[in-house]
Amino acid sequence: MEKTGLIFFPAFDWAISPTHPEREERLLYTRDQIFEEGIIDHPKIMEYKPRLAEETDIQRVHFCVPDVKSQTTTAHLISAGSTLKLADALMNGEIHNGFALVRPPGHHAMRVVHGNRGFCNINNEAILVEYLRRKYKIKKVAIVDTDVHHGDGTQDIFYHDPDVLFISFHQDGRTLYPGSGFVEEAGGPGAYLTTINIPLPPGTGDKGLLKVWREIIKPALEAFQPEIIINSAGQDNHFTDPLANMKVSAQGYAQLTAELKPHLAVLEGGYAIETALPYVNLGILLALAQEDFSWVKEPGCHSGQLAQSQEVDRYVDKIIHYWQSKLAGKRPDKEQLFGPDKKYVRQRSIYYDTDQIYEQQTETVEYCPDCQGLYTVSSQAAKHSGKNYKIWGLSIPYHACPSCVQKGYDLWEKRIGLFGYHIFYLQDKSRDVYLTRK
Amino acid sequence: MLIGIDVGGTFTDGVLLDNFTVKEWVKVRTEEDLTRSIQEVLNYLLEHIAPETIERLVLSTTLITNLLAQKKYEPAGLLLLPGPGTNPHHLSLPGEFVILKGAIDYRGRVIEPVDLKEVEEAAGYLLSRGLKRIIVACKFSQRNNTLEKQVVRHLQHKYPDLKVKASFETSGLLNWVRRINATYYTLAVEEACHHFLSHVSHTLEQIGLKCPVYIMKADGGTIPLDLSRKYPLEAIFSGPAASTLGGLACTSPDITSVVMDMGGTTTDLALVLKGKPLLSSKGAAIAGFPTPVRALAVASLPIGGDTPLVVNNRQLAFGQRKGPALCLGGPELTLTDILVYLGYSSLGQKETIAPFVHDLADRLELSPRETAERALDLLISLLEEALTHMCKTWEEEPAYRVWQVMADKGTRPRTLICLGGPAEGIGQLWAKKREWQVIVPSYAKIANAIGAALACTTLNLDFVADTENLVFYTSIGGKQGTLERPLRTLDEARAFALSLLKEMKGDWQSHELERVEPLYAEGFNIVREWRTRGKIYQIGLQTPPGILGTVKEV
Ligand SMILES: [Zn+2]
Ligand SMILES: [Zn+2]
Repeated sequence: MEKTGLIFFPAFDWAISPTHPEREERLLYTRDQIFEEGIIDHPKIMEYKPRLAEETDIQRVHFCVPDVKSQTTTAHLISAGSTLKLADALMNGEIHNGFALVRPPGHHAMRVVHGNRGFCNINNEAILVEYLRRKYKIKKVAIVDTDVHHGDGTQDIFYHDPDVLFISFHQDGRTLYPGSGFVEEAGGPGAYLTTINIPLPPGTGDKGLLKVWREIIKPALEAFQPEIIINSAGQDNHFTDPLANMKVSAQGYAQLTAELKPHLAVLEGGYAIETALPYVNLGILLALAQEDFSWVKEPGCHSGQLAQSQEVDRYVDKIIHYWQSKLAGKRPDKEQLFGPDKKYVRQRSIYYDTDQIYEQQTETVEYCPDCQGLYTVSSQAAKHSGKNYKIWGLSIPYHACPSCVQKGYDLWEKRIGLFGYHIFYLQDKSRDVYLTRK
Repeated sequence: MLIGIDVGGTFTDGVLLDNFTVKEWVKVRTEEDLTRSIQEVLNYLLEHIAPETIERLVLSTTLITNLLAQKKYEPAGLLLLPGPGTNPHHLSLPGEFVILKGAIDYRGRVIEPVDLKEVEEAAGYLLSRGLKRIIVACKFSQRNNTLEKQVVRHLQHKYPDLKVKASFETSGLLNWVRRINATYYTLAVEEACHHFLSHVSHTLEQIGLKCPVYIMKADGGTIPLDLSRKYPLEAIFSGPAASTLGGLACTSPDITSVVMDMGGTTTDLALVLKGKPLLSSKGAAIAGFPTPVRALAVASLPIGGDTPLVVNNRQLAFGQRKGPALCLGGPELTLTDILVYLGYSSLGQKETIAPFVHDLADRLELSPRETAERALDLLISLLEEALTHMCKTWEEEPAYRVWQVMADKGTRPRTLICLGGPAEGIGQLWAKKREWQVIVPSYAKIANAIGAALACTTLNLDFVADTENLVFYTSIGGKQGTLERPLRTLDEARAFALSLLKEMKGDWQSHELERVEPLYAEGFNIVREWRTRGKIYQIGLQTPPGILGTVKEV
């Protein structure tokens, strides 16, 4: 029998603060609903105990400032570790898919971590992807982010990685945090069109969602041929979510899950903790287990109130058209995209809403015809309180060519100790070596 | 003085303890009428003792297990009020069911009313199918029992002869499927259980025993005889619980060990961690249907001293019991015989067994000694596999809180306590092959009766309060109520839960409130539109399974 793995970690003893949306109560009613259903005893569902992620699992993804310890609580390590435990169960054939119904969430956490952004410190999905690559030699992974907010952290981490397809649909960044996720953000020059953003207007419902899935996401996945599909299963597109303005129902989410068939789903946002989460989570779990979810209906919900406007219909059609022609068109040459300097440079500032931090960073990616190329970042953040850190980080990609590896270590030797920086990071994914110098 | 009686499938054992010393013990054959065996045991134990000196009697019985195994009960129909969620038509339940309108949500709010006309029609249909008993089960009835009560009242009014039972009374825990199953089987065995208990009461009266009488529960605790009428399922699988506690009582009170009880046809393995028998995380299953009944985590293997050795596809294997061991006059070569053959047991003569071992060896094309050793290796590996699985299940128990994930579960046991007939031989063998410490208590053959005699009362309360709605619910008898004032802090909630436990204490004749330990205690802020509207508290309290003391070895 094909089994669905479940790790339910509601972290009943962890909160950002007592009244923060990310508090102990968040998955309480979800627990009640799922346990009362008796679905834990279902022969197709295997419940697993969570485990902790290790420091290396996090260093494979992040430059934590000043270190992993100060950016993570035990709850963060358990949340991330739970996805790894399910990955093991998936890869050794115990389960055919799995759901990490865990908190705290992670999809707003970027490569450099100075603090908490959008309730996230470390990126659970990214940690999962790097683990799958390192331990199981998985080459191509797709992440489909179905949270109402743009998965800007995940996008950031894999922006230059041609082996990770990142697709996010979300409420348009002009109307919602974090204010990004526009179609123009389509991946770095070495990974162009492996980032696909689908901003949707407020008021989009099940119909729009499923149409976007069937007409953009599904064909994009078929073309990319990932070995593993990961779903960032945020649930704040729900019509009752207090932080967003969409009209998706539990049925919509369950139907999407049934068709997307992710290998691993990881809970992200969703803060309608009574009206949405108990039903959406149950719907997703049943869909993963290939069980009937037609009885999962929010009380007092009438289909009429969930119909989307014609204006939304038109907008959805427009974005479908945009992506269909974009993905069907000829892909520009990588060397050409890097331009005459053969180097990608981006400067930007990043705001950490939870911790009120402004980060200034400059990233570079070197063009290499044989691999993804070396990535560097220099970043400075003035914290609301405490120390002002300036860091420099170098990332050698997983499939780096030998000359890039050599170039990377030469650069590392040259840069460490450079005046003005507090911490230096070397992230060598090709050899799984992570160094920090202060 | 204390008396413990364990009514097993073949033998009924009794023990009389005086200040933790075995004063008398007896083993008789279990008769069809269990009360006669109990009477026989008591007559023997009380031959030179005045009944007034007995302070307590604990009975461990297989009655309920037997009734359920032999399907000696009337089936019942089920009326289900599922509300939104999984498709109820796909449920696998012990009886025929009809789905009705009416729903409660996770906070106990009615989200859909009952349709009484529909209820009547459904009941009429079940009656037409020849059913005379009906279970009413609504999802989240442990949070609000009004819909179940409304349906039950209506049915009792409409069909006065019908036996109806609501699910909220059987369990206050989450998991309505388990609640449905438990309600079904409670109704199924209730009458037979009443009958048996009255019979026992009558017998004790005749003998002149006036001390408190308890029934052993599956979780290793005890329940007063009268109260057990209300919770008949608590007594299922009390046999393994009695032997586990017996193993503990015959050794030391803070031991970490595996208690192995090997009988003729089955072997039970139980884990004891620092003197506490491990409880199964979810509850016992009856006929494959899961229930919320708390039980010790016991692994039962269908192998025992009478298990014969057979050849399957030219491989040595274990067969089904045909009778006792050869050396005890049985028809076939069994594990007990092998123990004798290799010198691990002195139960019989090696010479009488040897020709059979030789015959088996020829069929396997092995030497007789190799054959015998291979049989025991097979046994050891099966036992070890079951043990490893058990330890792993315990270590991998799901955890919902940071502290639970971080909790140190300690090291796996390296001590084996052997009970039952072939215990001594198996113990020697295990010690030799696995280098464990092996203990074979001198009272190994009556350890289950000792376990019953010395079992502590266990009480367990799961308490939930919702101060926004001013309601509380508990796991005991489905007790629900209104909070007269909001509980402001976790400490207040804890005190309130403890006061409920104290109320129960009277019914349970428990004198052990000082042993109450918290299982979990947490408060959740109910925050809506950035305002705190109240709190939800979840508190678990228990007096854990354990023993009153250890018996003195002879
Ligand atoms: Zn979100
Ligand atoms: Zn290269």
